[in-house]
Amino acid sequence: MSSLKLNETPVRTSRNFNINNIKLDNISVPKCLKEFKNVNISECSSKIQIENTINKIDLKYGLDAELLNQVNESSNYRASITIDSKVNKDIAIEFNFDNSNTTLVEAIDIVASEATKSTIVIRYNEKQDVEAYHNGVIRAVAKSNSNVNIIVVNMMNEKSNNFLSIENVIEDNAKINFYIVDFGGKNSITNYYANIKGKNADNKLNTIYLGKDNQLLDLNYIAELYGEKSNIDIEVQGTLKDNAKKHFKGTIDFKKGCKKATGNENENCILLSDTARSIALPMLLCSEEDVEGNHSSSAGRVAEKELFYIMTRGFNYKDAMKLMIRAKFNKILEQIKDENLRNEILERIDKRID
Amino acid sequence: MAKTQLEEIDRNIYDIKNKDEYDYKIKKGLTKEIVEEISRQKHEPDWMKEIRLKALETYNNLEMPTWGPDLSELNMDEIATYVKPKSKLNNSWDDVPDDIKNTFDKLGIPEAEKTSLAGVGAQYDSEVVYHSMKDELLKQGVIYTDMETAVREYPEMVKEHFMKCVPISDHKFVALHAAVWSGGSFVYVPKGVKLEMPLQSYFRLNSPESGQFEHTLIIVDEGASLHFIEGCSAPKYNKVNLHAGCVELYVRDNAYLRYSTIENWSKNMLNLNTKKAICGKNAQVDWVSGSFGSKISMLYPMSILNGEGAKTEFTGISFAGKEQNLDNGFKAVHNAPNTSSVVNAKSISKNGGKCTYRSSIKIMENAEGSKSSVSCESLMLDDISISDTIPTNEIRNDNIQFSHEAKIGKISDKTIFYLMSRGLSEEDAKAMIVRGFAYPISKELPVEYAVEMNNLINLELEGAIG
Repeated sequence: MSSLKLNETPVRTSRNFNINNIKLDNISVPKCLKEFKNVNISECSSKIQIENTINKIDLKYGLDAELLNQVNESSNYRASITIDSKVNKDIAIEFNFDNSNTTLVEAIDIVASEATKSTIVIRYNEKQDVEAYHNGVIRAVAKSNSNVNIIVVNMMNEKSNNFLSIENVIEDNAKINFYIVDFGGKNSITNYYANIKGKNADNKLNTIYLGKDNQLLDLNYIAELYGEKSNIDIEVQGTLKDNAKKHFKGTIDFKKGCKKATGNENENCILLSDTARSIALPMLLCSEEDVEGNHSSSAGRVAEKELFYIMTRGFNYKDAMKLMIRAKFNKILEQIKDENLRNEILERIDKRID
Repeated sequence: MAKTQLEEIDRNIYDIKNKDEYDYKIKKGLTKEIVEEISRQKHEPDWMKEIRLKALETYNNLEMPTWGPDLSELNMDEIATYVKPKSKLNNSWDDVPDDIKNTFDKLGIPEAEKTSLAGVGAQYDSEVVYHSMKDELLKQGVIYTDMETAVREYPEMVKEHFMKCVPISDHKFVALHAAVWSGGSFVYVPKGVKLEMPLQSYFRLNSPESGQFEHTLIIVDEGASLHFIEGCSAPKYNKVNLHAGCVELYVRDNAYLRYSTIENWSKNMLNLNTKKAICGKNAQVDWVSGSFGSKISMLYPMSILNGEGAKTEFTGISFAGKEQNLDNGFKAVHNAPNTSSVVNAKSISKNGGKCTYRSSIKIMENAEGSKSSVSCESLMLDDISISDTIPTNEIRNDNIQFSHEAKIGKISDKTIFYLMSRGLSEEDAKAMIVRGFAYPISKELPVEYAVEMNNLINLELEGAIG
């Protein structure tokens, strides 16, 4: 059992605010791993190469050194994905946790070649009710003029631990639309870093989360803008019920030289119980004059008037509440083109709110 | 557009240095003997000496902040914590020594006293040299005096409140303050008494390589009302000076307190100040803050809303120029039902200065029906400056409304163009926009202080715009 200190913010604030990092006790970090076999890949052409050799991955941030070392030294799944097609075609990787596959330590390295279009869906599913451990790294490089959609769906159960480090590098005129659906994990800890270095580079990060029972979510999103006229939009919509707890740390960092760059961050948390707890630290750091940055953050109950209106139309309280929450999430979900996936996520939302 | 970068300009009246003359200056450093000596110099009762010694122990046990501006240049061995000026406490300006009086004359304090204040306190280095209040307030039972007198004459009230709102263990510089505090003001406004004109304390640090550690303790009793203004300045020296004051405000049920600050310390000053207010039922505390001076500032006034229906507003502006790092903000704890907080913070950075807005809003489990709204805006006047926004929001109750928004950017070219097309020069157009940006804060100040703030903005803008 280990005690882990994870997800440090790029700039520290007062220790009394309990937000600079997250400390987790009694986490079992497995040492010897057997191969993770329950993986489905929908598109297995020359675009995906499953590598057995371990190439070291360096991340600027990441969750912490110990978890990154585990990925570098003892991962049990590794995929290198090279996109070389100008026609968008979905690639889906599905990791299924079951009694024989309880531990996944993986690295996924994505390179989108110049002027390509692609959509990559990465899912973590719980096929059997096991106490699973997931520690993953997803790294994506979008070469100039490429357009990449990456959708990460965490549907693990509430017994498991989910640790995920993400790093994106976005070159001139390239775009990454990143979607994170974060439902599973007793502890679900995510570190997201975008190096938006190209001129006109664009990154959109959309997250929905729904915490229940005693779940703990710690989201640390960092976007550094270097490129002229580059852009980052972070949209986070979440709901907490029961005793769930969420830390959201979002940093937009305008670096010197990113003239005419723009950055927007919006975080909204709906609280469905008086024992749920939400902490947010939306940071704007700015070393460049000619930029526009905005952030907003809000929290509270579902608006009573709107709820009442829906109930006057014949819905009971629970269904009206579901409808309202679905509507909040839909803002993000409607951007996911795969209808089956979208419906599956909506079904899961309904179940989790019940 | 090419910018004219001029050297930092003379801050005229604020930079006037008097000779470093004093009645007594304690040796530099921070030891038990020094703390005991300060207590002896003040002929204090034992209970206060014990608080000082306990605070020194706490100071030695606490670590430096691991966040915020770099404070490594602060060396307590180089700071004299107590400088007794060559003047006793006076009730008439005529009795204040000429050089000290001239300083306050130039800062406009005696004039303001005549026209717009109900009372004035003036501190020079470590001691208050002048204190007076209008007679009618005395008759109503208002107490406005220096802290040393309060310790002697109102010991029970001081004992009950001193370092209770701000505990000694809060952070290292609070502990330092409690160990070496000197000067400051004590105010008590009795139940139901509403002061129509403000009280003002002005703090002037003249002595180089020294610190000012004044303590302000204000109790506004039930249903009473007060506007308190503090101003501070110091001439610039080559080595660092330290300001670690402490402000404790008790706003009882249904009472109102407005606490306004125009801070214009010299740019060699480390301003590590602590301010806190505790609000009772339906009480309100409003903070109005203009922060212009200091090399480094770490200042986060805090409102603890303990009574049902308590309210707080924070309206503040920071203006950081060359080599300044102003890390300011606000903290609120909603600790009772139906409380509310409204924050409107602005910052301007220019000529390589750094402004950080750092805050914490905490809505506790028992704060049902509470509301909080935070807005911060940052303006950058050139591409060598830095502006950061670091707010923390912690929500522990679902039956609340919370919103936070922040904006960062430069002056819009379109707006400048529009104003220039109306005949203004580019400089005047930019200055007008900056004054407009600061207007929500200056309008909250009494007119004399709004003028002072606008003058400070003009002073700061010279050399930055071109």
